[in-house]
Amino acid sequence: MLRFFGIRLARALLTLVLVVTFAFVVLRLSGDPALLIMSPDAPPEAIAAFRKAWGLDDPIWQQYLRYFAAIFQGDLGLSMRDGRPAIALVAERIPATLALTLPALAIKIGLGIPAGVYAALHRNSFADRAVMLLAVAGFTVPSFVLGLLLVLVFAVQLGWLPSGGQESWRHAVLPVLTLGIGGAAVLARFTRSAMLEVLGQPYMRTALAKGVPWAVAVRRHALPNAAIPTVTIVGFMVGSLLAGAVVVESVFSWLGVGRLLVVAVANRDLAVVQCILLLVATTMVIANLVVDLLYGALDPRLRVAPKGATA
Amino acid sequence: MMLSRRPLLLGAAAAAALPRFAIGQTDQRPSISIAVQKITNSNTLEVLREQSNVGERVFFSSLWEGLISRDWLNGLGPVPGLATEWRRISDSVVELKLREGVRFHNGDVMTAEDVAFSFGPERMFGTTQPTAQGRTIAVRGDIIPSPAARELPVEVTGVARRAWPALERVEIVDKNTVRFHNATPDVTLEGRISRSGSEIISRRAYQEANGWFDWARKPVLTGPYKIIEFRPDHSLTLAAHDEYWGGRPPLRQIRFLEVPEVSARINALKTGEVQFACDIPPDQIGGIERDRAYEVQGGTILNHRLTCFDKNHAALTDARVRRAFTHAIDRKAIVDSLWGGRTVVPRGLQFEYFGDMFVSDWEVPRYDPAEARRLLKEANYKGDAIPYRLLNNYYTNQTPTAQILVEMWRQVGLNVSIDMKENWSQILERGDNRAVRDWSNSAPFNDPVSSLVAQHGPNGQQQQVGEYANEELNKLAVELETSTDRARRKVVFRRMLEIAEREDPAYTVLHQNATFTAKRKDIRWKASPAFAMDFRQGNWGA
Repeated sequence: MLRFFGIRLARALLTLVLVVTFAFVVLRLSGDPALLIMSPDAPPEAIAAFRKAWGLDDPIWQQYLRYFAAIFQGDLGLSMRDGRPAIALVAERIPATLALTLPALAIKIGLGIPAGVYAALHRNSFADRAVMLLAVAGFTVPSFVLGLLLVLVFAVQLGWLPSGGQESWRHAVLPVLTLGIGGAAVLARFTRSAMLEVLGQPYMRTALAKGVPWAVAVRRHALPNAAIPTVTIVGFMVGSLLAGAVVVESVFSWLGVGRLLVVAVANRDLAVVQCILLLVATTMVIANLVVDLLYGALDPRLRVAPKGATA
Repeated sequence: MMLSRRPLLLGAAAAAALPRFAIGQTDQRPSISIAVQKITNSNTLEVLREQSNVGERVFFSSLWEGLISRDWLNGLGPVPGLATEWRRISDSVVELKLREGVRFHNGDVMTAEDVAFSFGPERMFGTTQPTAQGRTIAVRGDIIPSPAARELPVEVTGVARRAWPALERVEIVDKNTVRFHNATPDVTLEGRISRSGSEIISRRAYQEANGWFDWARKPVLTGPYKIIEFRPDHSLTLAAHDEYWGGRPPLRQIRFLEVPEVSARINALKTGEVQFACDIPPDQIGGIERDRAYEVQGGTILNHRLTCFDKNHAALTDARVRRAFTHAIDRKAIVDSLWGGRTVVPRGLQFEYFGDMFVSDWEVPRYDPAEARRLLKEANYKGDAIPYRLLNNYYTNQTPTAQILVEMWRQVGLNVSIDMKENWSQILERGDNRAVRDWSNSAPFNDPVSSLVAQHGPNGQQQQVGEYANEELNKLAVELETSTDRARRKVVFRRMLEIAEREDPAYTVLHQNATFTAKRKDIRWKASPAFAMDFRQGNWGA
């Protein structure tokens, strides 16, 4: 078990280093923060002074080493736009993003999985086709289109809900639905496929032949086995809780981590971008780790790796 | 009758509270919300750091005010602001009489000390020194102030010195009089006093703030509205400054909301969540006005769209090729088709508010494809590829304009291809494949020094990034900055236009820029010919 964790921790650290390095190189080579934050109309001497003050005129390898050294001292840097610590800026946006993504995750799971299971258990029925039609629609319509459609109907036409902002719980309804519907559609499709595959397995036929009632066979044999691919998708959704609402936050003027990321990337506000990426990568790594552990719980065969196999 | 002390004190407290409550109840002034694409780029509300057009919208005329103001609703010319009158003492000195009874948002009365402080090293210039015009400020370590100088960001000193390259000091003559002393003669001093960046701040509030950024997020000023809350990238809430010298503001509260998507801004207007939706593209105007409850206001602003040339690109070194570019453009077709005729083709890189310096008989190169073809033939242009670095709609209608331009240039034989870029540093990056790009130019004050010289002269962006240089133009730029002979200055300016737009083109003007704001029709309010939004007395009525 210790070896299992050790290997995964090493992988996780390597992933984080690669993410930070890749982001640093790409961002620094593709834009000058001085010009982007100060605007192209700023006097050349002001732009030059900005570069000098933030060390942007140093060789890129020096900037990279300086940044990395600071990370190991727990310093994620200052925002060049705000002059505040990047970690503080990101931290104050996290609750707003979670206020959208957590309820949306509940909708995805609460709606998507039962719908997928139901469709699989009623394969080729009208209900199956209806569920899959909706799932395909929800899966293929981009979130910004779905969001605008919801605004047109529920805000502009019916006047039931606000079109944007984040002053009250009512402002969260449409962005949560936008996020939730798309994710539920994805889960429904995956769950249906996984269930259909399991339902066709010999052990299901054996169980039914032995006289196990259909409902019990589904509950005890089909659902746990079909859960593995579904858990993988849910794990990915959990991992993207912090940065999975970039488009929706922009459409609904919601001040979360996603909006911050868009603005920070556009301005090449390096410390802020790196801080968000580190946070997202860490969340994703932890989610993957939890999924790995869940695999073992769902399928006892996965708890012990075969001899000679590497993790 | 005996009265104990406690009920008496309670009664007194209640009596003191009552009138205040009553005033609060009788404040019937409306509050409004305004949806904008962006509140500020720099996440600060300091006019010396926020150098964008969008910043102008929230700054003027609600927050920042200078000694000489601008007529925001009529022509943008200079009008008395925090100074009631001014006069020339010499070619390098201007004296101003301060308006009495001006109060800052913190209740302090504005003094001559506040004015001098606003133009002092602690707030503006750091340790930089005034230089003669015509010379850029060297960016060296020894003149860049350290953060210890009240954490004044170095870029602020750069902006301030660009606005005031030769300002020596502001002298306090008496409690109501100040004098601006310049190191060199300068006929544009009054213009510089009226420009963005020359506004007055509260010395006490600046010095009491917990660092520069705290100040810059909630500056204490003299405008008709004061800052209640600024949430960067989200909202800016202003409240009426009832002690405003220009009369009680007509609105109780103004809230600017950042709504990046244009469709979301329009939706918010239609649901009544906001009363104004800014940054409306021309192609959306018809759709909004189909509903008779709404109208779209706005129009041309103090900003011209340009196509800039890199004369060092192999295909563009011959000026005749660049001249061919300028004659191949049917500017009126662009204005009519993409802007629905809601903007104009200006008379080159100049603005009517230049007054006497406006060259009224000047025009952009005429649309003449035959002349363009002749010039290309004369220059022996063989169809070499010419890249056109382009941002995706950084400016309104930028991409469709570029597509039209490329087609117009192709019609006369120019082989121009669009090279999409993500940001400005990619646009300006030096290299063999830099040839044509877009830009827009404003004029911060009413003299060509603020536009043609500042942007295309020896210290302007185009020359600083290595796209352009012209010896005669550079000599004339220095003369325009330093000469006090007004007649000669106009001759110099005209000659500079001839060089930069005709003989050895640095750029060519396409059209004047325009901005549009959608609003409910029943609100009586007039848009300014600028990004600025005026919500003072006299420009509001429901």
